[in-house]
Amino acid sequence: MQAADWTKTGVKGEVTYSTFGCNPFQESNFPTPDRVAPDVNVERHMDVSLDLPTPDGQKIRVWTFTDPLAPTVAGRAPMHPAPLMRFREGQIVHSTLDPKKNAHTIHHHGIEPTTVNDGVGHVSFEVNARYTYQFRPSRAGTFFYHCHRNTALHFEMGMFGPMIVDPPEGPGTLFSGGPKYDVERLLVLDDMDPRWHTLEHDAGMCGLDVGLNRFDPKYFLANGVFNNRTTTDPRVVINAKLGQTILIRLLNASYSVLETTIGLPGVCHSMDGCSLGTEPWSSPLPLPANRPFTMSTAQRRDIIIRPTARGTFPVRFRFLHWVNGKVQDNGRGIVDTRIIVS
Amino acid sequence: MDRRKFLKASAVAVGAAALPAMATAQTTGGTFDLTIEAVDSEMIDGVFVFSLMFFDRSEEGRPILEVTEADIVTINVTNLDTRPHGFGIPGIPAASVASIPPGGSATVRFTAPVGGTYMYIDPTLAPLNRILGLYGAFIVHPKLGTTAAGSPTPYSRSTHTPQVAALFNALGVHKRFPGNKWVPRDVERDKLWLFSQVDPLIAARVDAGEVIPPASVVPSFLPRYFMINGLSGYDTAPHKIDASLDWSKGSGRIMPHGREGQPTLIRNMNAGLCTHSPHIHGNHIFKLSDTRADGTVVLNTSCYELDAWPMEPMARRDVLLPFEKPGDAVVWPPKEEPFPMRYVMHCHTEMSQTAGGGNYPQGMVTHWEMTGPL
Repeated sequence: MQAADWTKTGVKGEVTYSTFGCNPFQESNFPTPDRVAPDVNVERHMDVSLDLPTPDGQKIRVWTFTDPLAPTVAGRAPMHPAPLMRFREGQIVHSTLDPKKNAHTIHHHGIEPTTVNDGVGHVSFEVNARYTYQFRPSRAGTFFYHCHRNTALHFEMGMFGPMIVDPPEGPGTLFSGGPKYDVERLLVLDDMDPRWHTLEHDAGMCGLDVGLNRFDPKYFLANGVFNNRTTTDPRVVINAKLGQTILIRLLNASYSVLETTIGLPGVCHSMDGCSLGTEPWSSPLPLPANRPFTMSTAQRRDIIIRPTARGTFPVRFRFLHWVNGKVQDNGRGIVDTRIIVS
Repeated sequence: MDRRKFLKASAVAVGAAALPAMATAQTTGGTFDLTIEAVDSEMIDGVFVFSLMFFDRSEEGRPILEVTEADIVTINVTNLDTRPHGFGIPGIPAASVASIPPGGSATVRFTAPVGGTYMYIDPTLAPLNRILGLYGAFIVHPKLGTTAAGSPTPYSRSTHTPQVAALFNALGVHKRFPGNKWVPRDVERDKLWLFSQVDPLIAARVDAGEVIPPASVVPSFLPRYFMINGLSGYDTAPHKIDASLDWSKGSGRIMPHGREGQPTLIRNMNAGLCTHSPHIHGNHIFKLSDTRADGTVVLNTSCYELDAWPMEPMARRDVLLPFEKPGDAVVWPPKEEPFPMRYVMHCHTEMSQTAGGGNYPQGMVTHWEMTGPL
């Protein structure tokens, strides 16, 4: 590895209109500063596209990160959203990106690292080949990771995956001193505008009008499942036994205002990876059954539900347009699923 | 075009006279003189768009008006446009003028309310005149802003909630927040992010004399430029920092800047029609305030920590950026990585990161700088 030359990066290089936008700093094999031995290694590549069959018989292209270190063939295969990262609070994490194709970054969203480990090209650099992001998650909660090059397009194209930080005691507890749970369901809500999915890697970076100010989604998904199957698909439906405590980790990965209505009462115990009620200036947020609440893009909420009766309870997500507030795609922008308590 | 002010953006033209950013106007005897004028305003990509703006004597658009609670405030508004306009401040009913004819003037006089962040607008033909550019920040500093325990806050003590008081009391004391208390009336600790969007097509139709029904604005609104305090992308942060930088206005008022342990208030407002989702890197913010339906300021009873927060049209929401040690850095202070730590803030509803349909990220983005450890 070469020695770090900060003048070729956004850290000490001259920030100009060009390096801010069209030509951000890029590096290959940049040495991670203050590198220490990790407790856990993850790695992500970006070398494949994936064509998802849509409910209307079309195909839509997505880009994704793959996990070359996964123990199974299925785990190494491209998937959408990208594979989960899961860490313990306090672990030193090395998260290595080797794009293989074009320049990308990983921004571990909600993590507070140093600048060079934050994955934003115009203040540090984009990764042409292999960089190891280093951080130590200090809070348990729900996060995600995504590419921060040409983010408008790359995030929409699917270059994101969920990330969970467990407390030291491990899965089953939301955060130390916080609620325990028996059933965990992460729900990643997303929408797709097929017009965007025909664009090139760098579309919209250097002056051309490619219409990235317009977003008219036609497909609505939960955990990568299109909304024609979300009431039955086991990747989405929540199954619990009476007496069990359910944790729903919600992530709004769409470009819509996400309105959620849950047919059971719950309590939100953390937002954006930050626990509520552990310090005197915040408290958990009760969510009465069937009362809609909204989340803007990239927000997360961790909701604990303790069902008191058997039954099937609806969960509805409505994707609202950012200007007119109407349900997207002439009212079709809805994902339904269910909580089944047996 | 010669009948108008001609406001150039800085990134694409050096030596420009006036920026379409925000000036600042500290009260002198509680009196402000504003004009309403048509301008050709340069966007970040060099395109000029017809706009309407408030000016004061400084020749810079959309002055930030700052007063103290209980001041008797006088605002004289002169309409230099060819169309009728009005004036209003949601949450301050007395600060309102229904209509000012072309060439006419009007005066509002009122007692400044409790401390908080307000927006002055032209409320006529709502939302049309506002989204053409007729908006600005009206900031009220509290007369007595300290908590009972003596910690400074930006809010009048009578409005404090136990949670807001607890948070400001914790600064500089709690183990999470070594360093300073929040410092009042210091523009380096008091930032403004007033979001807006520009639809050049609607602007051109108004400029051409078309009468646009206000009810048609939201259904047809297709913004192409996204702004903080009237600036986009590269222009939203100072890239050269020296003693001559004026932190009270322009990009200096946008970019939070300081050492670890210098907590900073960020006043968020949205004058536009898009619901934004500002996302901050490096630290989480604490949500401090909202507004009631009548526009008055209300402090939160739970100051949630967030890294993304919704900003719906006309929302006014203050947040506190703690300038904490980045909680997940492995080595702090870093030995091999130089200061400043520089972290972006951008709207995560990423259509807002564009200009003219592309040009990522020349939209609603800025960054903040931590210049050193405690």
